[in-house]
Amino acid sequence: MLDFLNALPGAVSQGLIWGIMAIGVYLTYKILDIADLTVDGSFCTGGAVFVVLFSQGVNLWVALLAAMVSGMAAGLVTGLLHTVCGIPAILAGILTQLGLWSVNLAIMSMKANVALNIINPDVLNKLLVSLRFVQDVSKGTRPFYQHPIFVVGVVTVVIIAVLYWFFGTELGCSIRATGANQAMARAQGINTARNQVLGLMISNGLVALSGALLSQYQGFADANMGRGAIVIGLAAVIIGEVIFSKIFRNFGLKLLAVSIGAIIYYMVIQLVLSLNLMDSNYLKLLSAVVVAVFLSVPYWKGKYFAKPVKRGGVNRA
Amino acid sequence: MLKIENIYKTFNAGTVNEKTALNGVSLHLKEGDFVTVIGGNGAGKSTLLNAVAGVWPVDEGTITIGGVDVTRLPEHKRARYIGRVFQDPMMGTAATMQIEENLALAARRGKRRFLGAGITKAEREEYREMLKLLDLGLEDRMTSKVGLLSGGQRQALTLLMASLVKPKLLLLDEHTAALDPKTAAKVLAATETIVQRDHLTTLMITHNMRDAIAHGNRLIMMYEGRVALDISGEEKKKLTVEDLLAKFGQATGSDEADDKLLLG
Amino acid sequence: MKHSWRAGAALLALTMAAGLAGCGGQTSDKTQSGGEKDSYTVGIVQLTPHEALDQATQGFQDALKEAFGDKVSFDLEYAANDPATCATIANSFVSSGVDLIMANASSALQAAASATGDIPVLGTSVTEYGVALKIDDFSGTVGTNVSGTSDLAPLDQQAAMIQEWCPDAKTVGLLYCSAEANSQYQVDTVQECLEGLGYTCTQYAFSDSNDMAAVTQTAADNSDVIYVPTDNTVATNASIVDNICRPAKIPVFAGEQGICAGCGVATLSISYYDLGVTTGKMAVKVLRGEADISQMPIEYAPQFTKMYNKAICDDLGLTPPEGYTAIEAE
Repeated sequence: MLDFLNALPGAVSQGLIWGIMAIGVYLTYKILDIADLTVDGSFCTGGAVFVVLFSQGVNLWVALLAAMVSGMAAGLVTGLLHTVCGIPAILAGILTQLGLWSVNLAIMSMKANVALNIINPDVLNKLLVSLRFVQDVSKGTRPFYQHPIFVVGVVTVVIIAVLYWFFGTELGCSIRATGANQAMARAQGINTARNQVLGLMISNGLVALSGALLSQYQGFADANMGRGAIVIGLAAVIIGEVIFSKIFRNFGLKLLAVSIGAIIYYMVIQLVLSLNLMDSNYLKLLSAVVVAVFLSVPYWKGKYFAKPVKRGGVNRA
Repeated sequence: MLKIENIYKTFNAGTVNEKTALNGVSLHLKEGDFVTVIGGNGAGKSTLLNAVAGVWPVDEGTITIGGVDVTRLPEHKRARYIGRVFQDPMMGTAATMQIEENLALAARRGKRRFLGAGITKAEREEYREMLKLLDLGLEDRMTSKVGLLSGGQRQALTLLMASLVKPKLLLLDEHTAALDPKTAAKVLAATETIVQRDHLTTLMITHNMRDAIAHGNRLIMMYEGRVALDISGEEKKKLTVEDLLAKFGQATGSDEADDKLLLG
Repeated sequence: MKHSWRAGAALLALTMAAGLAGCGGQTSDKTQSGGEKDSYTVGIVQLTPHEALDQATQGFQDALKEAFGDKVSFDLEYAANDPATCATIANSFVSSGVDLIMANASSALQAAASATGDIPVLGTSVTEYGVALKIDDFSGTVGTNVSGTSDLAPLDQQAAMIQEWCPDAKTVGLLYCSAEANSQYQVDTVQECLEGLGYTCTQYAFSDSNDMAAVTQTAADNSDVIYVPTDNTVATNASIVDNICRPAKIPVFAGEQGICAGCGVATLSISYYDLGVTTGKMAVKVLRGEADISQMPIEYAPQFTKMYNKAICDDLGLTPPEGYTAIEAE
């Protein structure tokens, strides 16, 4: 158990990083009402773009921004496939994801794996987050504000604040309306096709940013790194929703719940690893089961534990 | 205000399910006209409204609203000229958004949406006053999700949204059909008030002949994708259900119309 | 609404604080100097269960057990072939304060190197440390808390092996999975050697096991001989290559024994078990404080074995040259 507690900072850091991706998934899955599978590809795109640019000496913030833009481009492709070419959203996402596999390899000069030279202290010190900093802060060789939990926590809060503001604007409201009811949105003069593309771009931009942070954190980008990301994202969204839906009603708080959902997910994974609860080869099965269970909870609740409806209490007009 | 010239629309062309829904419809509405539309199932009433709203492009013909040719404009661009209320109460509002947010969306119909506030304080006050006029108690629930409202409340809200920015044309597609009689009467009364107050040019589909006769200054009846009857002025004021059935029989040369119309 | 905001902020702060607080408790000093400790804990992070990697892990464990007996305990974790999980595992090793981390495969090594700057990390089944850790002017010694063994097979000798078996062949197809960084490196090097010997080479890359059959078919149609590096995807799907190349009478030469047993004619391979043992011996020196890991150069497999696959050779009518031993059926 002590091992688990010691491993917590790392698990929380990783959860926070994946939480940013999960917020992206929330935007498409919950707000746009699209299950966007581009995520599995664009996550790696973000990591690959970041590592390649940063290794070539590009400024860290510029590299992060470029990673985000690359993710937005991926979202743009999925969006255009869906809206202009009329391909169902799930399939459009799968097509982009498949194509991104090659694109990601091309970004990494046809290598499946590109690393950051974290052995070199000059490179390490330039990074925003690293798994190494978790230990360094606890040993006191780095100030607390370099702890990944603090850094990614601040990034997350900033992202939530910006999204909270954005989805309160005229444009943001029209995106929400697009996801809630397309017929109504069009009747109110909203260009639903453009909004879907825009939503997919914002979502995948966040996913790629998350990928860039993770590759920085673990020290490499790998062609396989986004595989199953959508499941982790959905897990975070659903865990957050099941636990906090009663207390968090505000939009910003719902995004926060998603981030906390991702942290909980990684704490569970870390718990399983630290306590040797099961063979780590069963991790993927565990993930699938966690998502399936949390997805079925609201359904079963509604089906078998519904509160009796008050008769005559509802005013019909 | 609205000029429909000889429009055609065939669904599933070239398949066994081919169906000519609009077969050369022409219709001119003057400013302030309140036209009720009746007709049996499959007569093309809803198809006509959808053609005007731009849900899909027509095969032939032109549609002009207030002098602007909108035939080639996509649905969301035509929305600038048109207010709509649908048959299904779920369709006209965003269930997961608040009442005031829905109104704010409607207030921006036909305007560019960018990074300005989605809803302002001044708007909230304005909406509260408007909701008070509906007399449904919604002014105290402005931050409630629309999904929590009853069907009648939602239709009333949709009606308010459709007229929030004064439309050149109001399209009502059997908007009381899904409501119980008492609620339907209330919503219809609200419709009459709003149309009169704002002098809205209106096309209202109804399945109820009495409503069709009681409201509006003009009545058209559709049959097999065409306008079969067009009654206005004094003639419309004196119209009875029996007259209507007789006229329909004459116009179409069919006597199987009675049941179809009454039941449809 | 105000209330729930406050609750949310408090909750986030709490989570972060809980996370940060965990940091305090792990300043245990892990001094390795001064002879043997009473017990050692070694964390092993392996990318995925896989014949070659398993053998390396086994060899590593055997070497340590031989040196320390019951005093050494292992925590072996697999990352389910997910690179990001390597980081999670490395994090749990570092936070539980293991004495040494053995990282089996490239992304495991990268994650472990990211996780710690002071716990010794030994890699194995990594082909090129300079590539894996992005060290531009790699000298053979990483120089920090990282060292290990390379599974680099003698690529020039593998080229020579193809010439020994098939002197009349003209074109060589190089078949590999584009998702594996190590394969790309080997294929590039072998191509250079083969072209030096006068062969025409073409690379045939597939992205995953789904398009492997189609790419293999193209390679078989256009080549006299096929070469496969130590590629994990081929290793797990060797039967696909065998089903296409054997009927087409195209001999396949493999970079390692496992692949050769499945679809190859011959191989010049390293033993991953021996490689693991070599890694284990390095670990013993580090744990006993006999060697400074930052001074230890990357080590290679102690010996290479020439082997051939009797069943396939018989089918293709090939007679092995001197010095090759048949791979024993399992």
